[in-house]
Amino acid sequence: MKYCQRCVYPMRAVNTMFDREGICSACRAAEEMSKVADDEFWEKRRQVFEKLIEEYRRPDGSNYDCIVPVSGGKDSYWQAWIMKHQYGMNPLLVTYHGNNYLPEGQGNLDRMRDELGIDHVVYGPSVPTLKKLNRLGFKMMGDMNWHAHAGIKIMPLRVAVQMNIPLLVWGEITWTVAGMFSPDDYVEYNKRTVMEHDLRGYSWQDMCEETEGLESSDLHWLKFPEDEQIQAAGVRGIYIGNFFRWDPNEHAQKMHQEFGFEFARQPFERTYRTMSNLDDMHENGIHDYMKFVKFGYGRASDHACKDVRDGYLTREQAIERVKQYDHVKPRRDLERWLDYVGMGEAEFDQIADTFRNPRVWWIQEDQWWKQNVWGEPSNYGPVHYSDQLDVEKYHPKSQTAPPAAL
Amino acid sequence: MLKNRLIPVVLMRGGICVQSKGFRRYQRLGNPTQIVERLSDWASDELIYLDISGDEDYDLGREDLRDGNCEGPLEILTEIAQRCFMPLTFGGRIRSLQDIADRIRRGADKVSLNTHALDQPEFINQAAEEFGSQCIVVNVDARREGEDWEAYADGGCRATGKSAAHWAHEAQDRGAGEILIQSIDCDGRGEGYDIDLVRSITSTVQIPVIALGGAGTWQHMEEVLTHGGARAVAAANIFNYTENSVFNAKQHLFDHHCEVRRPIMGVRGLKSS
Repeated sequence: MKYCQRCVYPMRAVNTMFDREGICSACRAAEEMSKVADDEFWEKRRQVFEKLIEEYRRPDGSNYDCIVPVSGGKDSYWQAWIMKHQYGMNPLLVTYHGNNYLPEGQGNLDRMRDELGIDHVVYGPSVPTLKKLNRLGFKMMGDMNWHAHAGIKIMPLRVAVQMNIPLLVWGEITWTVAGMFSPDDYVEYNKRTVMEHDLRGYSWQDMCEETEGLESSDLHWLKFPEDEQIQAAGVRGIYIGNFFRWDPNEHAQKMHQEFGFEFARQPFERTYRTMSNLDDMHENGIHDYMKFVKFGYGRASDHACKDVRDGYLTREQAIERVKQYDHVKPRRDLERWLDYVGMGEAEFDQIADTFRNPRVWWIQEDQWWKQNVWGEPSNYGPVHYSDQLDVEKYHPKSQTAPPAAL
Repeated sequence: MLKNRLIPVVLMRGGICVQSKGFRRYQRLGNPTQIVERLSDWASDELIYLDISGDEDYDLGREDLRDGNCEGPLEILTEIAQRCFMPLTFGGRIRSLQDIADRIRRGADKVSLNTHALDQPEFINQAAEEFGSQCIVVNVDARREGEDWEAYADGGCRATGKSAAHWAHEAQDRGAGEILIQSIDCDGRGEGYDIDLVRSITSTVQIPVIALGGAGTWQHMEEVLTHGGARAVAAANIFNYTENSVFNAKQHLFDHHCEVRRPIMGVRGLKSS
């Protein structure tokens, strides 16, 4: 397992590619950005943005001007603030509610229509359905939060089509996390990317199976509008991160001062940031622990990588964060989830182990081992054997060498 | 009269679907098979799928995805053929008649040849004789050299000393059914096709020419059909940036009298009904 020479991403970091010099595509994208992104660059982009949104403004007040999909987080506040208060648009806020808000996240969400003065649609699927989807997502793909990734991306699109509000203003260009696209690509919302990356190729049809008994009628909110409907309504989803400098630390501070945006009251178990992911307690908790189980790194690595690229941390400081947080099994969060869905920890551990990536993990004396960013391998606890665990894949000798430099 | 065609291109490297910029920089798009379904939905006329792998393994690297984990190009082809409701050209690493037969058996309608044809030009004759010219596309990767363009082998890495236009003409004489002309200089820049390069080929050969490399707007596609003499316009990266992209590109070409088929959507809807 190789690690990026600049940040702390492992070669198996989701959606990254490494080049001949051993630099990950996310660092390359940041480098590309830093070379071009001076004040003039952002000024030009701001002008492109202003021209674009004017096409969607309805001076006759016949309908909303745009939809801003929001979770109630710092970036949501910032996006809504830009559209309403900087540009005088009349947006509609749309939220997918997955029933896992932290109290402070729920408070932030509830206060949006008060503090920002914007109409707000909050959509929440039935809780029994959500519990079934939590279990299914975990068993099928090692991700209990699949429902959230899907709902967040699909529900606002459905509202846009149904209410005939063609412009959706999404937030961060999340692909900068892995450097999948460049600034000049001006990527917009598209079903392929959502299907592949947010939904991992699974659709609502895959969730209609025997064990949980979900049916089509339970899952309307998971159904994409047809291409023809999107086309007929002229729906288009832009990412505001393509047009404005994106600094989450700055957003959080500003929104805290202006609108009383509240940070997490107690620190997270798996990362040092307290301003992110308040809309879903498991996102930074057991969901993220599964990322470590699968790929050998977690959100502390993600946050530290971003902070290295933005100049908030040195690589050495980032490695310390990784050491401290990446491997932590979040007790508080795990116990809430197990209780929520009615599962025991032994079953949880057995299922989790079947998702270990054999390019990252190997088994030695009944322990899970992997290489670390600080240069030496270490073990991360006992193997939870089950019939579903293909032990052969994890023989130390079967550790495949990283692919040749691309 | 035959219509002009709009052809999306999928680039696959080591089992991963990628964007390419300058034949040098690759950015990961993801699943090597799923993309084909969307392109098929969007009224593409054909699909060109190019395997541009280096020496690495074919490995998407993920155990938690619904599908897309394939161990080699033939397995990928088998998967995409099931999702592809349009003529399919499969290219990359083809070095023998057996390689071609393997691809046709798994659902390719045509194959594209490049490096091996440059190294052994009679391979084009053999392939055309065995499978018919309609099956053989010769892909010419061209880099500008002063006033002319030179054909490159090995994914743009090795100069051959052959003029692109001369090589295209030779390929036609040897039995190629179509030329896929790709500009290395324009690849991934989004600043437009190299119209002069395309014209240098279309004015030299009589067989259809497919232009690839440089599309940044639908207007660029219109230009290469109108001014470059290409019979088909192909592009890769740009179709991954927006929703219903191929449909919108087709609509633009249709509206601007580029003699393409009328755009329709919902090909899979037809399939399932």
